Amino acid sequence: MYPYLLFIGITTLMIGWIWGVLYAPEDFQQGNSYRIIFLHVPASIFAQTIYYFMSICALMHIVWRVKLAAYLIKSAAPIGAMITFIALFSGSIWGIPTWGTWWQWDARITSTLILFIMYLGILTLHGSFSNLEKADRLMSILVIVGVVNLPIIKKSVDWWSTLHQPASISTSGSSIDPSMLMPLLISIVGLGFTLISLGILSSRLYILNREKNKKWVLEHV
Amino acid sequence: MFDIAFNTFDEIINMKGHGIYVWLVYSISILIIVVSFTITRMRIKNICKRININNASG
Amino acid sequence: MLRLIRTESFKLSRKLKSWLGPQLILVLVLIAFPLSIDISQYDLDKFYFSIIVISLMMTAFISTEGMFEEDFEDGSLEQEFLLEQDFYKIVLSKMLIYVFFIGIPIALIGSLFLITNGADFDDLPKVFSILCLSNILLFNLFSFGNALSINKGAMLGVLTSLPLALPVIILLGRAVRTIQYGEGFFSIIILMSGISLIVLAIMPIVISAALKTHID
Repeated sequence: MYPYLLFIGITTLMIGWIWGVLYAPEDFQQGNSYRIIFLHVPASIFAQTIYYFMSICALMHIVWRVKLAAYLIKSAAPIGAMITFIALFSGSIWGIPTWGTWWQWDARITSTLILFIMYLGILTLHGSFSNLEKADRLMSILVIVGVVNLPIIKKSVDWWSTLHQPASISTSGSSIDPSMLMPLLISIVGLGFTLISLGILSSRLYILNREKNKKWVLEHV
Repeated sequence: MFDIAFNTFDEIINMKGHGIYVWLVYSISILIIVVSFTITRMRIKNICKRININNASG
Repeated sequence: MLRLIRTESFKLSRKLKSWLGPQLILVLVLIAFPLSIDISQYDLDKFYFSIIVISLMMTAFISTEGMFEEDFEDGSLEQEFLLEQDFYKIVLSKMLIYVFFIGIPIALIGSLFLITNGADFDDLPKVFSILCLSNILLFNLFSFGNALSINKGAMLGVLTSLPLALPVIILLGRAVRTIQYGEGFFSIIILMSGISLIVLAIMPIVISAALKTHID
């Protein structure tokens, strides 16, 4: 399944990005720098979505003691950290031509930085214990507590509105022109599939690592 | 909707002065994603090899 | 519960470094900061509150550092758990004692320093109350971090719980602005009280789960 998902992901992502970067019209206010949106927005969306996914897994691990759920959290956390870093990096580069500064103490940027540190904290916590079952459980507890931070990220723009523009796409509609919205949506879908395939690969690695002495792994390999 | 927004290759690269930001962001992000895939695949290959060696040695 | 509170207060009162240490550290940090800048050039009263808030945050962390570690190491945590069959009461009593012995004094120290650095004396009760409430939040969050890391060092505890504490800092900043502008204080204090009560009720459950994992 992984190669198909990766193929769909990369193809869709390339369509979205090429459409967005080369074919979408120039923004009348931000000029061409706005083309970073086709990377920045999908990355920001998945930075949060991966954490939500991890919190669902954490709940499954805590309540039903599903071992695989803990494995998924451990596999998803580095991907979450990576995509949060991309969101932060693309945002700060976008900030240079738009705001005239690469970093601003804006609520949403700061919250995303906190999210990035949280991902690293989760990985560090898990890596600190040699008893992996204990590490899984503590990591799940931390993920569940950390999920409280997510609504704060989402609401932060409204609470401490500073430089950051409000969300362009929401459930109630969109403020973007369709010629820009379409490639953006395609990029979101493309990056989603790409990250899912990376997630499958990463969880495969972690499961093999963790279960390497089990009989089924020997047979599988 | 499907007309290219630039007339020449130079315009695509330069993007009226914003090209440096746009291309920098995309290239580094693509690099990070590609490196993640490559490292993960390599590590899977290595662990499979190790498991096979252990399996063969008993 | 009363037995636990008595035990915890007795234990903490015997550990001078655990309750007096954080207060002295806070005083030292608050003295040290003005020494590092040219006070003839800067209006210290304008940003002294943020120094107090950050110092308070770090003091809260130092205070909770050994909250469970020593009990975990000497086996008394396990013993208490076997006696009570539940960690909730143990954690809650520890939390109350720590807030009472350390949280309230450091809130008072912070408020007094703020008054001596230009804040209006009439604002003392307001400042003291928001610092007390923020200490309840910070103590809960940091003890969660320490319960997770338990004997793996303070660094891990900070790394896991500090991101959760940052919204408290933002809330405190807002509370300060309401004091400075003289309006909206009532709604922010109600909000902070509500959050403190929720955190005080829920966090011991979460901390108990983490502690149970350690002794399982």
